[in-house]
Amino acid sequence: MTEAIIQALQMLLAGDPTLWDIVGVSFRVSLVALTISLVPGLAIAALLAFARFPGRRLAVSLFNAMLSIPAVVVGLTFYLLLSRHGPLGEWRLLFTQTAMVAGQVALSLPILVAMIHTALQELDPRAWETTRTLGAGALRATLILLREVRFALLAAVIAAFGRIIAEVGSAMMLGGNILGYTRNITTAIALETSKGAYAQGIALGLVLLLLSFSLNAGLHWLQGRSRLQPEYLA
Amino acid sequence: MSPLRLRQLDLSLPERHLLQDLSLDLHGGLCTLLTGANGAGKSTLLRIVAGLTPANRLALPDLGGSTPRGAARRLRGLVTYIHQHPFMFRGPVRDNLLLALPWSLGYRARARRVDEALEWAELTHLRRNDAGGLSGGERQRLSLARAWLRGSPYLLLDEPTSNLDTASRERLRALLQVLLEKGHGLMIATHDPTHFRFAGCAHLHLADGRLRLAAPAGKDDETQGACA
Repeated sequence: MTEAIIQALQMLLAGDPTLWDIVGVSFRVSLVALTISLVPGLAIAALLAFARFPGRRLAVSLFNAMLSIPAVVVGLTFYLLLSRHGPLGEWRLLFTQTAMVAGQVALSLPILVAMIHTALQELDPRAWETTRTLGAGALRATLILLREVRFALLAAVIAAFGRIIAEVGSAMMLGGNILGYTRNITTAIALETSKGAYAQGIALGLVLLLLSFSLNAGLHWLQGRSRLQPEYLA
Repeated sequence: MSPLRLRQLDLSLPERHLLQDLSLDLHGGLCTLLTGANGAGKSTLLRIVAGLTPANRLALPDLGGSTPRGAARRLRGLVTYIHQHPFMFRGPVRDNLLLALPWSLGYRARARRVDEALEWAELTHLRRNDAGGLSGGERQRLSLARAWLRGSPYLLLDEPTSNLDTASRERLRALLQVLLEKGHGLMIATHDPTHFRFAGCAHLHLADGRLRLAAPAGKDDETQGACA
């Protein structure tokens, strides 16, 4: 075991190309997925917070419920859609990075919507009224309020990234674990460990641990900042 | 400038008929004081006049706006409302003022106007300070500066002097005097009408959902017909 750990550290420090390729796939797929879900996430959260329309509360609870959908179920759903005989089979997307991105968008969107919506809802109602009475239209008022909750917003982005970079179920089912193409950190760990090749698994696990540790530290710091409201003085 | 005329202003809440078919005129350069017991509906009335809360019914004879929401939109274009405890956005005092100006003005012009507003409200020395750390009086002055930048013809203030010390109240009064002289119409909800005895001040009292002229004993001449 000690031997495997030493070997893992050597792989990391020596810059083993296969290893860092796998890390690259993880980051590329998750960053693209996060970027794609960010704008719709902001828009849906703002709509749910400020617009009044029938079915709004249902939509809110739906997004909250989607937070707890297992990644492997998301993977299964997209698998059925994208498989040869599925409704979108003609697109030939199964076992591509695009399919992995699609799954991760579905996983990150509910987190962004739920967290940003909560932040906007908790905002003092005077904030919205102040922007409106100072002449801001609905769009500018929304942007001003998003800026007002910027720490919570960043926290939502970090939480969403943390979830999708660490998920294995959807990446495995939709990517297919193809070396040099769709094999990412989590699917590689699963595979290498099942083959008994622990060193690479440990090395990638360390990368993931370090990442999730720093993301959580950042999240913790941001949540502290976002609660730092000198407003009570009023 | 023609007055802002509101007619048939009506609002029912589930539990009671809060505002009953009110008529109200606001004049540029004049101040209207609004008194009434706690819960009489003073803040609600101000928020309706500011277009922040739609009434059940409201007619604006000079402006149109047939639906209550349409009327609210027109009013937002003319009226700025200042909360009893003004909201401070995160960040420095200066940023709190910048957001009262349209982007279309361009950054340099906005920065110059903000500097003027800071000077007007005697906040220049605080421009880099965090707005959340301001005192009650400084917050009121900042919110007045924001309204000044916005430049609405009418300003509504909700209990502006509650929790202010004497010096802050006097400073606020002086700023309001300047706004009146510049032709802005003011409406102030207050428990302390004597503090705001500006020239030509009308004093309305809200009770049981209705507005009536409140004439202080022996001073009938001071209340001019702002209430139709």
